[in-house]
Parts: sequence; structure tokens; C-alpha cells
Amino acid sequence: MSRLAPEGAALSSVAESEFALASRRRRRLTRQRLGHAAAPYALLAPAAVAIGLILGYPMYLLVRMSFEKYGLFELIRHQGRWVGTANYAQIFHDSEFWRVLLRTVLFTVVNVTLTMVLGTGIALLLLQVSRWLRVALTTGLVLVWSVPVIVAVDIWRWMVDYEFGVANWSLQHLHVGNFVRHDWFANPWTGFGVITALIVWGAIPFITITVYAALAQVPQELLEAAAIDGARPWRIFREVTMPLLMPIFVILTSLSIIWDFQVFQQIWVMLDGRPTSDYYTMAIYAFHQSFQISEYGLGAAIAVVMVLFMFGATLVYLRQMLRAGEIR
Amino acid sequence: MKVRFLVAAVLAAMLAVAATTASGGTSKAQAGKIVVWLQNDAQNGWPEAVALANRNFKAQHPDVDVDVQYQTWGNHLQKFDAGLAGGDAPDVIELGNTEMTKYMAAGAFKTLTQSAFPNNKTWLQGLKNSAQYNGKLYGVPYYAGARAVIYRKDQYKGAGIKSTPKSLAQFVADGKKLMKKYGKDSGYSAVYFPGKYWYYAMSFVYDYGGKIAIRSGGKWKGTLNSPKALAALNQVASIAKSMSRASKTTDEANPQQALVFAKGKVGSFVGNGWEWPYALDAKVGNPALDPVVGAYPMPSHIPGKFMPTFLGGSDLAVPVTTKNQSLAVDWIKAFTSTASESEIAKAGNIANTTKLLAFNASNPKLAPFARAAKFSWFVPTSPNWANVENANVLQNMLVKIFTGRASVKAAATSASSQITRILNTGA
Amino acid sequence: MTSGTQIAPTPIPPIAPRISGRRRLHKLGWNVLGVIVLVVMVFPVYWMVATAFKPGQKILSYTPQWIPTSPTLSNFRDAVHQPFFWDAVKNSVIVVTVVVALSVVLAFLAALALAKFRFYGRKAFIVLILGVQMVPLAALIIPLYILMSRLHQVDKLTGVIAMYLTFVLPFTVWTMRGFLLGIPKDLEEAAMVDGATRFGAFVRILLPLVGPGLVATSIFAFIQAWNEFIIAYVFLHTPQKQTLMVWLASFTTLRGTDWGPLMAGATLCALPVVVFFLLVQRRIAFGLTAGAVRG
Repeated sequence: MSRLAPEGAALSSVAESEFALASRRRRRLTRQRLGHAAAPYALLAPAAVAIGLILGYPMYLLVRMSFEKYGLFELIRHQGRWVGTANYAQIFHDSEFWRVLLRTVLFTVVNVTLTMVLGTGIALLLLQVSRWLRVALTTGLVLVWSVPVIVAVDIWRWMVDYEFGVANWSLQHLHVGNFVRHDWFANPWTGFGVITALIVWGAIPFITITVYAALAQVPQELLEAAAIDGARPWRIFREVTMPLLMPIFVILTSLSIIWDFQVFQQIWVMLDGRPTSDYYTMAIYAFHQSFQISEYGLGAAIAVVMVLFMFGATLVYLRQMLRAGEIR
Repeated sequence: MKVRFLVAAVLAAMLAVAATTASGGTSKAQAGKIVVWLQNDAQNGWPEAVALANRNFKAQHPDVDVDVQYQTWGNHLQKFDAGLAGGDAPDVIELGNTEMTKYMAAGAFKTLTQSAFPNNKTWLQGLKNSAQYNGKLYGVPYYAGARAVIYRKDQYKGAGIKSTPKSLAQFVADGKKLMKKYGKDSGYSAVYFPGKYWYYAMSFVYDYGGKIAIRSGGKWKGTLNSPKALAALNQVASIAKSMSRASKTTDEANPQQALVFAKGKVGSFVGNGWEWPYALDAKVGNPALDPVVGAYPMPSHIPGKFMPTFLGGSDLAVPVTTKNQSLAVDWIKAFTSTASESEIAKAGNIANTTKLLAFNASNPKLAPFARAAKFSWFVPTSPNWANVENANVLQNMLVKIFTGRASVKAAATSASSQITRILNTGA
Repeated sequence: MTSGTQIAPTPIPPIAPRISGRRRLHKLGWNVLGVIVLVVMVFPVYWMVATAFKPGQKILSYTPQWIPTSPTLSNFRDAVHQPFFWDAVKNSVIVVTVVVALSVVLAFLAALALAKFRFYGRKAFIVLILGVQMVPLAALIIPLYILMSRLHQVDKLTGVIAMYLTFVLPFTVWTMRGFLLGIPKDLEEAAMVDGATRFGAFVRILLPLVGPGLVATSIFAFIQAWNEFIIAYVFLHTPQKQTLMVWLASFTTLRGTDWGPLMAGATLCALPVVVFFLLVQRRIAFGLTAGAVRG
């Protein structure tokens, strides 16, 4: 604020230029304040316009459709029939909906927990192994991360194939049991086991690499100080590392919840596009009601319910996000 | 300020991008082009038929381009629905015959005049029924598929079966002989019967005189738990349990049953005409089996008759959103001409006209299927039938029976009530 | 030097080798675990590539071949000869490049606003972009199609690009914001005192610092755009306009799935992503969480 005059200038010229500079600064401050006020909106505008332009009208349509009877007949005529909350009532009175909701919640909890625990575990492992293995592991994780979902599902489907799958052959030859022609999807529990393995497998790289980066930024001095104090590794993790990693954990968990709650493709493709009702999750149920039965109004209502539900589940993250800005 | 400048630049860029594309102008209404949606089976299976149709159409309309876009069975209806919603569906679309009723009832297609199309007096009755609604014609039969038993002649001989069975009872007895001779291999199936193979299972129901659903007093009623249907389903369960080691929860395409047959551990399976040459495919099948593979129509429980087979197939329709109806009709005429249909038949399908059944009959690899096609059954012609298929009601029922999770009676009763509910839904 | 006591070099006490020995044993243990994890994680990818090199009959085999004994390129040949492969490559590359470029720029600007300014509507926007991520895509297809049809963006790459942009922006804005929050304010202020405008400070000081963050953002945008299937399938009609994921779906017909060519095609589809990754992967770690831990 006070680096005004260049060295060696006469005092008068300093005073003169100081005055001139001061008034210039005042003008710039006013312009700056106005600019300051407009700047965030201007910066936000392109992204907001992009999202608003593409998603604004469809979101409005979606919500409106949830209050309409919008079947194939109405679709062709581009005109839904207003039925108020009838769709919502039908959903909430459908016992199938509650079963699917419960199943999806359970599914999400299991997947998110496994993903976070295993992902973090492998990240911690990365800190412990030799350098060559660290490089190999991160490269391997990157490899897994880069496989598109459709492809990953096809690979896993092939691995658990009834006749020719490598999973059955391996388990049989390891004498784990009789796995000749074992049908993994006959029982929804084993079927979901395979699907969970697939999803967790695909989600681990992102979690691991993110947590690993976060771990790498925990100040070494803190860890060493704790170690010198005689703390055991688990305690160090719990009391030094975890608190520092908490924001990242909250972010990752919330994201995982949102993504796992909406899982569709893995289950759909794994079951050849014809899942039986005991494999329905919310996203598949919504799809079933929309496209398969061509009741788009009902499908829209289910989507709205899903969004509200997920909002509730990620409330923690929401407050964290909002608070993180406040501190500054 | 730099901020505003940068923001303006980005916005300008986006607008420019949008402008260039908007000025490009889509408008399928231009008479210079028609869009045809066929399933990708035509792409690899009978491309000559498509090429022939395009050539003849071009000769008739030199200034009109034909854009044939191939769709996948898994998602084509999603895309079609979106197109209908947006008002830009194709000019000609292929739909599976069980998918037609739902769309016909919703008014998705233009009405067509039967007399305008080639061979219309000899259309296969089963296909023609699937393209009609309330007395009007909304589609043109494209092709059909009938199923017959494809079997290993050498294994039959080895098990002491002298000739192909002429009745269901004999079929079952033959199956037992096969299992006795080869069944020690835990992977062997005398009759490969995947759990979700409802086309084959329902054939039994219709053979015994039952039906999936009947219409009475203006309402539909699921009848899989009628005594006749239950008898049929019990027979199905018995065959599957004692003679099949196929997966109880997958259908006949995953894994592809012809390819499993080619691996040598299957005595017989029920498949379409194209599955015979597919089992002998050079890349994925076993060409060495050529001399020992044969086929015969599935025998009925009434000796000397054939079990009715499900007449699968597709129709061609003209969506109501089209602006090129006469061009669309002309293309369909070109594609269902006798010449074009002959190409389709050559690929192992059943052409849409009985005139060409003779063509199939003269080819030993196609003859059994042509014979089987004479006796067929079809699904209830309700606009809501597609929903029954999408809800996997029949597949679920069979899976429950095959895995032993429910008794035949319980599974059939549950399925029947579901069918009743779904078929009677809504206006 | 000046002290009376002489400190003679002491020999390494015998206890040291035992400690390093125990640590070596620990290290070995961790390494073994690490190798097991590596094998388990990478196996499916290996299986995909191995299957791509096996001839059809060997794929459908009751005894799996762990290493292809007679590797063949025929599956790759079949895959590349599947119609419209090169068109699909071109389209996917175009779509992904534009989406990545635009999303990085837009996300950076928006994140600047959210991280460095306090303004009315900030919370609303954050809630909005969180909410957008929660809407199931399947439910949006019909409404999106209705909109796109009105804008004449059906069967156009630009329409698909615009839609991908909106799906990618929420997450990329978060990422960038998190990273920007981690930059100390004094760095900014130091730049501003020099007479720079605030935005000038952003560009000159922050941009280089958030380089890794930009890289991380671009990777997420890349994957989202590259992997997406259903929007591309529904909105792109002419086969010349379709992307690689749609092309990959054409391997499944009524006749079941052609495993050999499908795995070969899948390997080809995964390659560019892997290459892109390996080129930039070192920057990811520093990009994602620098802000979050401190924030």
C-alpha cells in the first residue's frame, strides 16, 4: 500500500505523484468495487448458462411430468394429462417401491462402505510398500480407472459366465466347493455380490488415488512427532491423520453415495437388460416405469423422489461445502 | 475489465458454435432423404436384401437418398420413444412382432393399405395378425423365425435312437436314453433348456390346449394356472430337471446355445433356422460337426402332430411423425419384394409369404423350420403385452420353477395374477 | 574441535541390523500384500486383453487359457472392420476434446467466483450444482430430447457436447473450487500490490499453481465424455456420427455377444484413455486434494 515513489525522486515530485497516484487509486477502487461486485457473476455466468440452458427446461419438464399422466399415447401427442399427486400416491402405495428403496439403501451402504474402507486401506498400503511397487500399483489402478463402464461390465460378465467363465473354473480347481456351472445370478445375494465386487473394483482407483494424495500432504513433522511420543501406528492414524483427512472423506463419501444410489448400467448389462424384480434398484425401477412400461409420468415422479432422498442423505456434505467458504 | 472481456469471449464462442449448427438446418422433412431403422441382424445377416431394396428404390426415386440406420435390440425402443416425443422419428422402422401392439394402440403408426404391398394375399397369417389393430393395418410383415429341434445324429445313434421322435412321449423317452448313455459327464444335456427360454416353454402350454391369457367380457385373464397349462408346465419342469444342465437363470442367447451345442456336450436344443449354421461357424463354432447335425420339428403330445412353435419375427411400420409417407411405403415395397425376401430366406429365416415356404422346403437345412412354421402360437394381442415382457413375468416364473424356489402351481398362479393385472392396466 | 573429550567413531551397535531386519520383514510383508492387491485389481483388465488375442473357439472353452497359446490378431481385424469404426474414433475424439477444453475453462472461471468472492446467490449455486448431479439420467432422456429437438440439436455432435458439458461441469467446478481454496490469500495480495488487477493476479499467479488441478479436472471430463453411452445412442442417429461406445454396442445382436471382437474393440477403446492417463497421472495426486485438506 505504500510502495509509491521510485527511488531517488525529489520530495515534491514524490508528494505530487503521491497525490496523483492516490486519486488514481481511489478511482480504481471505485471501479474495482463495482467490478468487484460484478466479477463473480460474470465469472459464474458461462458455467451457469451452460447448465441452465441445457438442464433448465428438461428439469422443469421432468417435474411437470411427475404430476401428469404421460404414457405412450400422451407422448405421441406431446400432451400430458394433469393428475396432481396421483403418481406420487401410486408410488408410495406400491409395496414394490418400498422394497426397491430399502434394497437400494442397503446396496448403497454396502458399496460405499467397502469402497471407502478398501480404497483408504490401499492408499495406506501405498505408503508402506517399496517404491517400485508403489509405481506399479498406481499404474495398475490407473489402468482399472480407464476402462469404460460398459467394457468393465462385459469383462466381469464374461468372467462369471455360467459355462465358460474363469471364476467358476478357478473356484472349482481351488476346491472351494462345487462351482461347475455355478449360476451366480440364480440367487440375488450372490448376484449382488458379483455386482458389488464389480462396482467396488471400479470405484477403488478414484478413492485410493485421492486419499493417497491427501495423505501425502499430511505434514511429516506431525506424524514424526506423534511417533516419537510413542504412539502406535493405528493411534497416529486415528488421531493425527484422520482429522486432517476428514474434509476429503466427507466429500468422497457423499460423492460415492450419490453415484452408488444411482447405479444402473452395471446391473442392467450384467443381467442382459432383463433384470428380474429382485434385482431392481431405484435407477432400474425408474427406468422400468419410464421406458419399459412407457409411463413417463410415473418415472418422473420416481426420479424426483430419488433426488429428494439423495439430498437428505448428503446434507452433511452440503453444509460442509457451504461452511468451507465461510472461513475465508 | 479483463474479466468481462474474457467472459464475453467465451459466451461469443458458445453462441458461435450454436449458430453454426443451427444454421446447418436439420429438417428431415426435406424430400431428399428417408431414414430407415432396421435391427442390426440385417446388417450382418442379409445385407444383400438391403442393398437390393436400396437399388430398386433408387431406380424408382433417383433423387432420394436412403439412410439405413441399424439399431440394437436393447435400446431401440428408448430411441424410438425419444424420437416420437421430439417429433422426428424415422420414416420406416422395424419392430419385433410382440412390440407392435403397444405402439399401434397408442397411435404411433400410419395406417397402410394392404393391397399396395407385394405378396399381400399370401402373407404369413401369424405375422399379419401382429400388424393389425382394430381392423386396420399398421405394419408390413418383414420376416419370421420358427424353432425346431436341432440335434446330434451321431449321439442319437450312439444312444440307440433309431429315428427322430414323432410324439412328445417318445421325445422324452429318447432324452432319457441320451442321458443314460452320455449323462455321466456332469456337463452333458440331452435337451439344452435355459431357464428363461419362455418361447420353448410356452409352446408346451399351447400344445396341451392352454393359453397364456384369454379375453372374456372385455377383460384379460391370465390362465397359466389352468389345469391344461399346469400339466404342460409340469412336463416342462420334468424335462428341464432331468435332461438339461443349462443355466437356470439365463436365456438362450447368453451364452448362445448354438455355440454351447458346438462344444459337444449337448444332444439337442430347440433353436431358430440360423442357429444350425451358426453352430458350424468357422470362427466361433465347430465346422467339423457338419455331417452329424440335423433338425426336426418338435413333436406334439398328440402323436403324429407338431408342437406349435412361437412365430417370432419383425414387422415394418411407418411412424406417424413422418413427412415422407409415400416414399416410406415405396421403400417397404422394395424391401418386401419377392426378390428381397428370397435373400432374407436364404439367410435362414422364414420369408413373410407362404409362396417362399417352398423355397425353404427345398433346402434341407431350412426345411424342418418351414414345416414347423405351419403350426404356430402367438402372444395375447393386448397393447399391454409388451409390459408383460418387460416385467419378465414368464421368465421369472420359469426361473422359480427350475430353481425349485416355488412349486409349479404357485409360480403359475403368481404369474397369472401378474399377467391379469398388467394386461388390464389403464385406458 | 576444542573440547577435551574425544569422540571416537563408535562401531555400529549390533542392535541396528536386527531393527533393519525387522523393518525389512515388515516391508516384505507389505510388499507381498501389495502384489496380491495389484494382481487382484488388474486381473480383469488382463483378462480383457488376453481374450482379445484368443481365437473364437479358444475363448469359448471349458478350460480357460491363462495365457493365449496361439494369439491372433483376427479379433482386432474384425473389430476394426466393424462398420464405422474410424468414424466413431473421429467423433469420440472431437467430442472429448471440446468437452474437456470447454469444461476446464468454464469450471475454472466458475470456481474462481465460488472460491474467491462472497456474493449473493453463491450458496444457491452450490446447492444447484449438487442437485444436478443427483438426477437420474434415464429420467431426463425424454425431456432432454424434447429440448434438443426444438433446438435442432438432434443427430448433432454439438448437441451431445453441450449435454456432456452440463453433466461434467458440476463435478469439475467442485474440484477446481476445492483446489483454489487451498491457495493462500497472501500470494494473491502480493500480486495485487504490484498494481495488477484482481483478475490479472488470478491469471498470473493462480493459474500456474492450479495447473495440477486443471489436469485433474480434464481427466474427469475426459472419462465422463469418453465413457458415456445412452445419450450418444439416443441422440446420434446417422452411423457416421456415432461415438465409440455406441459402436461397441453393435457387437451384441440377437445372436448373443461376439466376445472376441468385443474384447478387442474394448481394448482399443480403453487405449486412448490409458495413454492420456499415463501421460498426466503424476499431476493428479497434487491436483485433487491440495485445497481440501487445508480447507
